[in-house]
Amino acid sequence: MTETSANGSTTRRRLLAAVGSAGVIGMAGCTQSGGGDGDGDGGDGLSGTIDIAGSSTVFPVATAMAERFESEHSGVDINIQSTGSGGGFANHFCPGRTDFNNASRPIQSEEEETCSGNGVTPVELTVATDALTVVVNNEADWVDCMTTDELARLWSAEDPPTMWSEVNADWPDQELELYGPTDASGTYDYFIESILGEEGPGHRQDYSATEQDRTIIQGVEGSEGAIGYLGFAYYSQNTDRVKAVGIDDGDGCVEPSLGTARTGEYTPLSRPLFTYPKQGSLSEDHVAEFARFWLENSTSEEIIADEVGYVPLSDDAQSEAMERLETAIENAQG
Amino acid sequence: MATESREREGFGHVSRTVGVVFRYLLLAATLFGIVALTVLLIYVANDAIQPLTADPGWHLTFFVTLVVPTVAVGGYLLRTDPASFKFGGGVVGALAVSTMFAGGAAMIFVDIVQPVTWFGYVLALAVALAGVVAMERFDRQLPFLVRSVVAGAVAVLSLWLVPGLVRSLPVYPTDGLLLTASLGTPVALLVGRYAAAAAGKRGTALAVLGGVALVGVGSYAGPLIGVDPVPATVLLSVAVLPTGGYAVGTVRRHTERRPGLAFAGVILGGAVVGAVAVDALGFTGPQSWVDWGFLTSAHSGTAADAGLYPAIGGSILLMVTVAALSFPLGVGAAVYLEEYAPDNRFTRFIGINISNLAGVPSVVYGLLGLGVFVTYLGQPTGTVLIGGATLALLILPIVIISAREALRSVPDEMRQASYGIGATRWQTIKNVVLPRAFPGILTGTILALGRAIGETAPLIMIGAPNVLFSLPTEFSSKVSAMPLQVYAWASLFASDPFYRAAVPAGVVVLLVVLLSMNSIAIVLRNKYQNDQ
Amino acid sequence: MSTDDLTEDLTRRTENAPQELLTRSFFFLCAVLSIVTTISIIVLLTTEAAKFFSATAPLMGVEGPTASAVDFFTGTEWIINNEQFGVLPLVSATLAITVGSAVVALPLGVATAIYLSEYASPRAQSVLKPALEVLAGVPTVVYGFFAVVYITPALRTLIPGLGTFNMLSASIVVGIMIIPMVASISEDAMSAVPDSLRQAGYGMGATKFDVSVGIVVPAALSGIFSSFILALSRAIGETMAVTVAAGSQANLINPLNPVDYLEGALPMTAAMVNLLTGDVTGGGVAYRSLFAIGLTLFFITLVMNIISDLVAQRYREES
Repeated sequence: MTETSANGSTTRRRLLAAVGSAGVIGMAGCTQSGGGDGDGDGGDGLSGTIDIAGSSTVFPVATAMAERFESEHSGVDINIQSTGSGGGFANHFCPGRTDFNNASRPIQSEEEETCSGNGVTPVELTVATDALTVVVNNEADWVDCMTTDELARLWSAEDPPTMWSEVNADWPDQELELYGPTDASGTYDYFIESILGEEGPGHRQDYSATEQDRTIIQGVEGSEGAIGYLGFAYYSQNTDRVKAVGIDDGDGCVEPSLGTARTGEYTPLSRPLFTYPKQGSLSEDHVAEFARFWLENSTSEEIIADEVGYVPLSDDAQSEAMERLETAIENAQG
Repeated sequence: MATESREREGFGHVSRTVGVVFRYLLLAATLFGIVALTVLLIYVANDAIQPLTADPGWHLTFFVTLVVPTVAVGGYLLRTDPASFKFGGGVVGALAVSTMFAGGAAMIFVDIVQPVTWFGYVLALAVALAGVVAMERFDRQLPFLVRSVVAGAVAVLSLWLVPGLVRSLPVYPTDGLLLTASLGTPVALLVGRYAAAAAGKRGTALAVLGGVALVGVGSYAGPLIGVDPVPATVLLSVAVLPTGGYAVGTVRRHTERRPGLAFAGVILGGAVVGAVAVDALGFTGPQSWVDWGFLTSAHSGTAADAGLYPAIGGSILLMVTVAALSFPLGVGAAVYLEEYAPDNRFTRFIGINISNLAGVPSVVYGLLGLGVFVTYLGQPTGTVLIGGATLALLILPIVIISAREALRSVPDEMRQASYGIGATRWQTIKNVVLPRAFPGILTGTILALGRAIGETAPLIMIGAPNVLFSLPTEFSSKVSAMPLQVYAWASLFASDPFYRAAVPAGVVVLLVVLLSMNSIAIVLRNKYQNDQ
Repeated sequence: MSTDDLTEDLTRRTENAPQELLTRSFFFLCAVLSIVTTISIIVLLTTEAAKFFSATAPLMGVEGPTASAVDFFTGTEWIINNEQFGVLPLVSATLAITVGSAVVALPLGVATAIYLSEYASPRAQSVLKPALEVLAGVPTVVYGFFAVVYITPALRTLIPGLGTFNMLSASIVVGIMIIPMVASISEDAMSAVPDSLRQAGYGMGATKFDVSVGIVVPAALSGIFSSFILALSRAIGETMAVTVAAGSQANLINPLNPVDYLEGALPMTAAMVNLLTGDVTGGGVAYRSLFAIGLTLFFITLVMNIISDLVAQRYREES
């Protein structure tokens, strides 16, 4: 007993001596200047954190922007979470936990109330346009354009048709084969919202649901009676494999294209995507700078169309959003 | 009559076929899962590392320099001297695993804790320790309460003052030297004592000094071969020193195992010679997705550029937090239940409750974290602290159950002997029971930690970000983790390039970390069982 | 030191000395923490779920949309957008995963246990046991990825109509994951069978096969049964593998119909993850439905764990 404790205390003493002597050697050896070198590691002095939550539809846009911003300003930490538009407002943005909330729809008035109740003022910025494209097989020569009513009839859960001819007598007795995204995808919700109506009969469930756009393209490509819908950008990379259908919303047929989606002609299957910075956070330079960076790049086809798969903003829409942002920044900082 | 016919049934035609078929069926069933997983692992490793993209010459070179000698020497040793074979393999394995941990530690010192801050805290701990040691001298004269209060005060004061004091110095040693003192020295003290087995005080002191000197010199030599001082120091202290100490110490204890060193030398030498030869001959290696860039860069929208760095750092910090929270609490609960608790209804209820908690789905623990920490306590979502606390709650039952088993395996005679010489209950636990049960407790904790860093669902529930670009630097920073990053790539970026490149690479890194943790635990347990 | 001191030292009651008291209280608190955890889980899930159901929401002072408890437990549609919260499709998918993984894991697990306890040499055991542990140590999200990227395409060569996300490969990976659990608990039970029983069997002239199947397995039956329940409760609570591999469409499927395994479905756990990460979640009622599912899940697994405990206790008493 005594022996071990004696052993223990000598080792402890030895440890202290060693730590001390090593320290002394260190002091005598090479040194570096200490004191306040702080944590300013960003090249231009921007530093801080930016918390982003919200829509999984806008999530890829936000990450693409954050990635580029980070590479220029390494002092800024951006973290992005996919929570859904509503979940983001309710659980993250309005309680004041995040600086930005992404949304695939405009903020609702109740959400705005909750936010202002907590002293959070959202600033609405449009960052891209999401467009859906209805595609059919290249051999389907009977259809180039369909009305929104026909589209609703095709996908309705109420009395779902099994033949093309059931929807429009001019179409052949061809069996329908339907491809679409699963109900977890934002595209699916958006389709219900814009074509079937929120109060409507609901989306039919007897279709091939997939999370992958390429599966939709493959499925439609492989069968003459197939029809499907998916994000515009993915279609635009596969224009030769399937045929896009024009949509008639009562004002004649509009072909889906970057142009018609940007101008807002392509209704109702195109929608703006938003991000909502918190006005209070814009008073911090790094947040304001990131918001500016995002808007500046929101017209970039390379980022928005090629990488993420949405329709970039038009120059007009960009300058309008930019103005709104600058006013908000002035309000916040001034 | 009846007996006769039964006898004939029993002994007349005893066929071995049924038994043999049955036996092989059982073996096949046993191997099914293992083989299935092995095949999957081969597939994913192939996708991540892409060995077939390398030059045939590259494979041939390594085959000649590494595989052939290893198989030859290893095969010979395995037949003639299994103990040396095991030892040699152990040295190489220890070096590989400890290098990996050194990588993690280097990451911490480069990006999270400045060496000077670390040095400050180590110094503060040393000061506090000195204070407590000084206090021990007055063991008899001072009542326990006074002693504990003063010791606590010394510890708090020094931890509070010293780091700030060190940081405010106008001039301090280079990072390399600071780490040599604060990381290399403690390691050298531990390792030196093992390596210098039975060499007396002088020998031990020399071994320790040699170790410290090695690290110190390394911090200056590193930059010459392109390694920064901080990683070089960490690598030497965390990987090279312990492995070297293990090798030297074992050879000194069992001289007959010396051939094992040659075996390890053949493997390491073969790898180095192969690498040099490949470079000289101009053979290109495989186009692996798991490369330096993958390990050191952050997420990117392009799968080929995406990296795991913030997630690796996040996993390390989470693991530290989880260990710091669950180890004392888990062991404490186990000690209470095994050593103190009377066998009554309440104790049994706690026991049943713990085993039920072990079966609660992880996603429910996530909800608990979300509800309690975020909603009720108003903490920010997805931070290191919240993530660590949630995961700690998740593995706590596992830690408690395995610690209880380890405590139960300590023979009662040892406790009786300790009580017999007048020790109190706490003294008995501290000096007899815990040291004896420690390896078992450690094994269980490592396995449980492995479970914790493989968990994804609780982190999603508490709102950990799906994408993060820098390492968390404090407990209140947002954190991502390796499995969460893999999940984000597989779900939010579900595209072919991510499925082909980033996800397999992430899976391979995650599995390498987990499998090495598992193997540490298994090696520890085998050693522990053999010792008993 | 005088003799008086010594006597006092030796006869002093140390039980409540400050040091003893302090350490004992700390250990006690650690042990009590587990009960606190359980209580917090139950309180949290019940209060949050109470805000979800129409019948109880007014008591909690919650305004806004709620869902009827009857609709929740009997509804066959899970469409969050229409605020149709019928949990049956989710339960059916969870059951399908459980049945599917049971088909894989139970026979293999028991066979493994018999092999390890009756046939394997100590050397083989020392290799096989850690290897089996690795099966349980692989993170579940990795299993999910394996299912989507390797197993589904492989199965598609046999079954051409297999969807990208399907219950079949999800069940297979969950099955592989729980084999070690069945095997290790069953093996413990088999090792606990007294050797005298085996000797008696051999004495009667039985073969090893007869002894294993006719004596050891029946004697260890309650342990084997308890391992089944525990492993299945694990399969029910399994989250990431099914989130990644089973898809996200809430279909009402029949767990006993093999054809239904060819398509995807949404188990309860996956629904919870989707509620927090997908774009469909609103703040209010959908968010609270999370806790209602959580509560359902917690009670199912709790009941299974308790049954398993009781069964296991019986076999301990028997042996």
